[in-house]
Amino acid sequence: MPSWRAFKSNTLQPIPDEKVGPRAVSFYWTAAVISLAGIVDALYLTIQHVTGQTVRCTLSGCSEVLSSEYATIGGVPLALVGAIAYFTVFSLAILAAFGYAFAWKLLSIVVGLMFLTTLWLLYLQAFVIGHFCQYCLVSAAVTTCLTVLVLLTLRRR
Amino acid sequence: MKRILPFLIILVVLGVAVGSVVYYKKRAETPTASTDPVSPASNSASAAAATPAALAADEPGADPPHAVGPANAPVVLEEFGDFQCPPCAALHPELQKIEAKYGSRVRVIFREFPLVPTHEHALTAARAAEAAGMQGKFWEMHGMIYENQKAWHKLFDVRPIFEGYAARIGLDVERFKRDVGSSTVERRIFLDGKRAHALGVKGTPTLFLNGREVPFDSLPAERLSPLIDAELARIQK
Repeated sequence: MPSWRAFKSNTLQPIPDEKVGPRAVSFYWTAAVISLAGIVDALYLTIQHVTGQTVRCTLSGCSEVLSSEYATIGGVPLALVGAIAYFTVFSLAILAAFGYAFAWKLLSIVVGLMFLTTLWLLYLQAFVIGHFCQYCLVSAAVTTCLTVLVLLTLRRR
Repeated sequence: MKRILPFLIILVVLGVAVGSVVYYKKRAETPTASTDPVSPASNSASAAAATPAALAADEPGADPPHAVGPANAPVVLEEFGDFQCPPCAALHPELQKIEAKYGSRVRVIFREFPLVPTHEHALTAARAAEAAGMQGKFWEMHGMIYENQKAWHKLFDVRPIFEGYAARIGLDVERFKRDVGSSTVERRIFLDGKRAHALGVKGTPTLFLNGREVPFDSLPAERLSPLIDAELARIQK
């Protein structure tokens, strides 16, 4: 399988595309596009936070979540942490798409951690805060999609 | 080129991301930046999220509305609010600042828009405020409920709390308890909801300045004032 060598390789040198395989490359590009959606979502919430707004109340109950004590870690908005995480995933996916095989391995680890965080945040929304925020749910969906992509590439080994 | 292209893409995305955060933060810190007082026409255009005024006429809401300020005030601010919504509670002191600053030039109207599936006590609170209104003390109850929002929003049963507020603002508590469940109160909340629906209100707080929706980020008093000034200037012309 062509992608196997790409995945095994720990070299920092780009590997020519023909050795990675077009299907793997399309996975990397998909991950990049999906993580871009995650960046936009997390950035929107970051901007809401730094401009001192709690998002308007709607029938979906956002401000309860975004103004809760779980919305920040030591004064840093969780949305910013999310934006940085999605940006990391985006960068690694782009690198992987351009033949830097090591990047996908790193990406898999980052996405794994993000998925665990997502599960924790969903638990908080469902059982502690008692409200869901649609922007947080979009983020959960994005991370879940990324996780599925990573799992698919792992299975191909 | 192929070697640097991935890094170029990453840098561009990083630049756009950081740039947008900085831009919005700057814009939020300079209240007059988006509201140029020289051109009130473009100003009101930016303040307007284009509301079909015709729809509003068909659904006048509860009559008479709860209002501060004279009926012939040149500027009418109409708020759709939910008593359990944190940003609505934050808007309450901002509108008080506006009332103090503009006096009889501004009329502030409050409309009930309890977000029932989101806020378990929103409807109870709306009923309490309306019941207080039947004894002529809507705004007193409105203030009590918003100012103490953090004290009651997590309780299981808020009715004793609101009855306590009723006693504190000098209402006939027995009558208040009866009025809370009355069809008059129910009807007012329903009519305000119909108006909210006609105007396309999706969340709270939503504020209309002479029929045009004020952008959410212009709700603090220091950002709302330039919009009101521009509207006053436009009317005087």
